[in-house]
Amino acid sequence: MNYFCKSLWAIFAKDIVTEFRSKQVLPTMIVLGMLIAWVLRIVSEAASLSTTVIGPAVLWIAFLFSGLLAQERSFAVEEQEDCIAGLLLAPVDPGTIYIAKLFTNIIMLCVFELVVVPVIFLTFQLSVADKWFEFITVLLLGNIGISCVGTLFSAMVQLSRIRGSLLSVLVLVILMPMMIPATFALLLLFGAIPGELAGSGTLALVGNFKTAIGYMVAFDAVYTVTCWLLFGFVVQE
Amino acid sequence: MRRILILLTLVLLLLAMWIALTAGQVAPIKRNIIYAHIPSAICALLCFVVLFVAGFGYLRTGKPGWDYVAAASAEVGLVFATVLNATGSIFSRAEWNIWWTPSPRLISSAVLWFLCVVYLILRASIQSYHRRARICAVFGIIAVIDVPLVIISARFIPDIHRANFSFDSVWQGTSLGLLVLANFFLAALLIWLKTDILQSKALLENELNY
Repeated sequence: MNYFCKSLWAIFAKDIVTEFRSKQVLPTMIVLGMLIAWVLRIVSEAASLSTTVIGPAVLWIAFLFSGLLAQERSFAVEEQEDCIAGLLLAPVDPGTIYIAKLFTNIIMLCVFELVVVPVIFLTFQLSVADKWFEFITVLLLGNIGISCVGTLFSAMVQLSRIRGSLLSVLVLVILMPMMIPATFALLLLFGAIPGELAGSGTLALVGNFKTAIGYMVAFDAVYTVTCWLLFGFVVQE
Repeated sequence: MRRILILLTLVLLLLAMWIALTAGQVAPIKRNIIYAHIPSAICALLCFVVLFVAGFGYLRTGKPGWDYVAAASAEVGLVFATVLNATGSIFSRAEWNIWWTPSPRLISSAVLWFLCVVYLILRASIQSYHRRARICAVFGIIAVIDVPLVIISARFIPDIHRANFSFDSVWQGTSLGLLVLANFFLAALLIWLKTDILQSKALLENELNY
């Protein structure tokens, strides 16, 4: 356990330090997020849409696409000078490498959100009243979901010819189920829809805030564990 | 063995369609499309089960045969998912005057189609054989886990779909059951044929390379 923590910290610290020294991706992510918010704000004004309805969608679109930039980088930096070979030759479990990269991506998205969320709140005139804790929980769960799938896929697309575009397609189709409850939860927090909305069909979920959060926790747990287990096969040579 | 399966599938398909279109007709004529819709939905899901098993088998054993089965089931799954979405779309235009709407089952079947397409795109974009097989097996497993998650999460959205289909006569149930069985045979046959094609293609390429 101690060994696991030490090697985890070593890889995590290396990634964070290289990113904060080179400042390659974080500024691009922030600018992309702000641009997405800005363009959609103008469109929503032109179509006279309610900002509380379009706000959650803008938040998730900005996180998804900026997250893709962070994830694409997480294994692309290892390609230079064949660093990935050194990393894999080190006496650590591949799962540890995955968890370290996952933490790096989550931290990058959190730093990104610290800047972009206030910007989106100001431009869209959003407010969550006193529900800050719930709001941060939803964002964190979304971050974990986006990052855990994206980190694995980033390693998967490394040697393919069309890595960037392939990564976005893979991540978006797998994340699709999480985006429904995630958007739903934010719509509830911004007060765009009533608190209780009956689900439908045989597997009916009662659409309230708790079920949305529960679904997101389940999604994150399922995919973090699956990706952690499967990572070894992806990087094997 | 394969010839017997081909013959059986053809006979069963023709018989089931004949019963469905004579004794098993459903009241407004447009609703007869369920005879294509429901079997293809079941077969598309079955192809995903095969994809999961084959991906798991490949990661476990590393035998190329599993990889060909996985690729074949994704392609056959794409065929059935396309039929599923097309028939569903035509029916919903006739019944509710819309081609597509975000409703739980429509979302789930659209995602089935997307997962198959993305799997095939991923497959086409990696060149090294062993790497491709491993990565596609991993993605196959993740894609199959996605299916139940989509089906559950789509329940956050209101439904317009017919929840239950009730039959007026025993012939309707019989013909639907027969058609499901016939489509099941058809899916198995297609996966088998495609696996063989992929296998001989791989053999040929190996001979040309070395």
